[in-house]
Amino acid sequence: MKKNLSFVIALVVTAALAAVPLFVKKDSLLTYLCMILLYVSLASSWNILGGYTGQVNLGHSAFFGLGAIATRLLWFAGWNILLAMLVGGLLAIAFALLIGSPAFKLRGAYFTIGTLALGQILYATVGNLFPQISSMPVQDLISYTLVTRYYLFLAVALITVLAATLVANSRWGLGMMAVREQEDAAESLGVNAFQHKLLALVLSAFLAGLAGGAFAFFQIGYYPQYPFSPIWTLDSTMMAYIGGTGTILGPIIGAIFFVVLKEVLSLNLAEFHPTVFGILFILVVLFLPGGFMGLWKRIKDKQQKKRESMAELSHP
Amino acid sequence: MLQPLAQNIIYGILIGALYGLAAVGLSLVFGVSKFLNVSHGELLMLGGYASFWVFKLLKIDPFLSIPLTIIFLLLIGFIFYRLIFSRLIKLEVEKKIQNSLLVGFGLSTILQNVALRLWTADDRSITTAYSGLSFELAGLRLPAVRLISLAISVVALISLQIFLKKTFTGKAIRATVEDWQSASLMGINIHRVYLLAFVIGCALAGVAGTLVSICYSIDPSMGLNWTLKSMVVMVLGGLGSMIGTFVGGIILGVTESATAFFIGGNYRLIAGLLLFLIILIFRPQGLFGTKEGDR
Amino acid sequence: MKSKFGVALVILLLVSLMATSCAPKAVETEAPVVTEAPATEAPAETEAPAVTEEATYPPAPEFIELGSSISLTGNFGSLGNLILPGYQIAVEHINAEGGVFVKEYNTKIPLRLTYYDDESDPTKAVSKMETLFSEHELTAYLGGGGSSMHAASIPIAEKNKVPYLGISFALYKIHQQGYKYLFSPFPKSPNQTEDVFKILNEAIPEGERPTKVAVFAYNDDWGKEWGGLVKERAPEYGYEIVVYEENPVGVNDWTAAIQKAKAAGAEMLLTLPIFPDGSGMFKTMAELGWTPKFSLVIRAPEGVNWGESLGKIGEYVTIFPGWHHGAKFEGVDKLNARYEELYGRPADLLTGPAYACVQILAQAIEKAGTLDRDVIRDTIASGEFSTVIGKVTFNADGTGNVLDPLIQWQNGKMELVWPAEHATAPLIYPAPAFEDR
Repeated sequence: MKKNLSFVIALVVTAALAAVPLFVKKDSLLTYLCMILLYVSLASSWNILGGYTGQVNLGHSAFFGLGAIATRLLWFAGWNILLAMLVGGLLAIAFALLIGSPAFKLRGAYFTIGTLALGQILYATVGNLFPQISSMPVQDLISYTLVTRYYLFLAVALITVLAATLVANSRWGLGMMAVREQEDAAESLGVNAFQHKLLALVLSAFLAGLAGGAFAFFQIGYYPQYPFSPIWTLDSTMMAYIGGTGTILGPIIGAIFFVVLKEVLSLNLAEFHPTVFGILFILVVLFLPGGFMGLWKRIKDKQQKKRESMAELSHP
Repeated sequence: MLQPLAQNIIYGILIGALYGLAAVGLSLVFGVSKFLNVSHGELLMLGGYASFWVFKLLKIDPFLSIPLTIIFLLLIGFIFYRLIFSRLIKLEVEKKIQNSLLVGFGLSTILQNVALRLWTADDRSITTAYSGLSFELAGLRLPAVRLISLAISVVALISLQIFLKKTFTGKAIRATVEDWQSASLMGINIHRVYLLAFVIGCALAGVAGTLVSICYSIDPSMGLNWTLKSMVVMVLGGLGSMIGTFVGGIILGVTESATAFFIGGNYRLIAGLLLFLIILIFRPQGLFGTKEGDR
Repeated sequence: MKSKFGVALVILLLVSLMATSCAPKAVETEAPVVTEAPATEAPAETEAPAVTEEATYPPAPEFIELGSSISLTGNFGSLGNLILPGYQIAVEHINAEGGVFVKEYNTKIPLRLTYYDDESDPTKAVSKMETLFSEHELTAYLGGGGSSMHAASIPIAEKNKVPYLGISFALYKIHQQGYKYLFSPFPKSPNQTEDVFKILNEAIPEGERPTKVAVFAYNDDWGKEWGGLVKERAPEYGYEIVVYEENPVGVNDWTAAIQKAKAAGAEMLLTLPIFPDGSGMFKTMAELGWTPKFSLVIRAPEGVNWGESLGKIGEYVTIFPGWHHGAKFEGVDKLNARYEELYGRPADLLTGPAYACVQILAQAIEKAGTLDRDVIRDTIASGEFSTVIGKVTFNADGTGNVLDPLIQWQNGKMELVWPAEHATAPLIYPAPAFEDR
């Protein structure tokens, strides 16, 4: 019953998003929606490893960047963009497999900072190897359409959310959450912690790689190093946290909240918009320690309790 | 060959000491209260600006104004702790790391913006009359301001160590680092310990900021780089060990300098971070960390 | 209890925010900072001789819309904050005379500048560029600062077919992409790397020239482009590169490079650091006792903060910033006077070229006699403009033919030292050793 309802809602939202370009003709609004969808993909993919599996990864931009750089190079070399993106995703997976076993030897803060260092290494290396601006050739600008980009971002966001939902509701997902709660206890129950973490990492990396591919297709001119910047990681981590980690909706809400709030503030308050953003951000964190989804859970728990006590009353 | 190398190593040590000092504050706060304060770099920036303005407006030597910077940062730390961080102490460890990351992120946004509005986006640096002076020793040049900076870092570290080892409050802090539950059972006032560690961490960041403004330069957006560097150094040295953190900083500084010397400047950051990862592979708890450090 | 109240507060805040974002468009366009024409200019319009051919002109738009996505915060904030006042003062000055006469409408139309802070984030710059284009009937874009920001914004202007005038980037490569709507009245790497040797050979007799050159470059594209050109040009003018070192941007420790330069007996330093790297570089040079006789340092010393921060260590450094408030061109005094009123000092180095961008645009619109963007584009490309940075014409690749004056830090001030007809002070050469200052 309830599952059906959320399925219907998801379908309606998807259909509405797919219909947006029919009504929205302004490039500014579309660009803006593209950014939200990109961040939904990034925060949701981060959430698979960081939220469900509890491995706080501060090197997420590495996967995003690898996807972007591979896609860009292949696409410029004449490949089909979807094929190029797929290769970008696979490159991210390859890197994930490479670093997986040493990285998961580390626990807690050591893992977090270790991945941060990995991300930084890639950032610096790409800066050394690819110092030149990557610009779309001028003759291609005439055929540049934002709508195509929008649908690509939408597709990547949908794939990411769908993949996260499927995994979270599978046996693998349960295993991941068990690893997050108590790694040693999970092991003693026969859950192979390493396998679960690696699967989460690979999936998270692949989806971030796809998002990188979409970014490479969207952004007309940028430095190849830019998608590797730690800012991407930091932003998507914050979005997942503020929305509520370990939930499907959390990163989505977080991404929308983050992007919309920032944009609204920067358009309306000229010089102090970051300060207002920071204050609002802190207030939300202090009063909603589990993110927006935490609030939702609290409300539901309360209702549950009420219902239970009502039930007790009616059956003395 | 040997002499230029030695000269380079000296600079590596001097820079590394700054990394170390910046990270010690972060490490103390993280060790005690599990707050991963990502606005640490911004606190460092505030310290730098405090010294800069005292130097510029009141003409007080930046090394002599360090006590003022410390008081300023203690105050800032107190305010931030009371207003913000104190509300997180009841959370469980995972949530605490997560939420401190979040509020730290918000705080760093605010501090950057406020600094930008108050002091413009211009970079600043303190140059005293004796900046640029060097002592010659066996053909090596020892830069005066950096030597004094090193001395101040070491003094700060030793004072911290004495405080932690010899005073009752210090012992309470160390007990909390090791096991806060038993510490609180033993009648230690955990809240006071958290507050104290937090403000000391802020003060250390402030001192580091002063030294950065003398040896290098400061600007409103400098924070993130110093936060990231401090986090790496903290983990390299091993959580829970202040001396270890400081040594970690020096190791990183020397590695970077030696790489710049032998291979070239382009690879200095990469080499430092690679060394860090290699060390972690062999010692997952960092150089001087204890096994339980990660929890 | 307390926490309930808090939750309510946060929800309230969020709802109000959402409400502002959904409010009718009027709020949005009103809110951004807009430099508008002073209200007093109305009478000027009625006086205009519109009597000759009545009613044959279409109704004029209220404003000529200019849009800028500019970095006011973040890494490039220091550049943006020098550029923006140039745009604003120019708009103010032109509007004080009623605006720009557009023949198509037979009336003067005031300029209106709308700008957004892109926070030094290239993706934000893209969305701000699109927002500007969607929300306003733009006539032209004015650029921000920093080559990576330009690299992200220029293609959007090209895609929307809107002329883009930008300064504060010397990267030549951007101009070789074939962009048609990009114009930059600013010296580029090829000018800078050639002019430095020309000036030295002109100003210093043979035998005293600093022929052994150390180049401290960056590994980014501008650094490589610039370094490569220096390598190519130096021998043509009789100079030898004895040290060539590269660092990534943001590394403020140049110890290894300085030691090599000192050991090689280098007499001249050519470099292009951002401020933190430049200040670190010069402090270390003083400590290690290496004083180049001549140093050209692009970027870091371009703001007044260089002198404030580095004192004697930063003296005698030279720069190619594209302009100086001492330049003897028409309008410079007026700009300086207004800048002095607002900021308490003569106009900054980047302010002049920014001011010139608006001048060029206004003159081009007037010449074109229409607000048609393609006609304006062609007029900019083919015309000659007189501005506070001198006469400006553009090459086919959008680079400007502009004066490239050499500035030197002397006694805590920036002095124009070359060309002689504009000079405010003679070039000091060789620079005294750090320990003797």
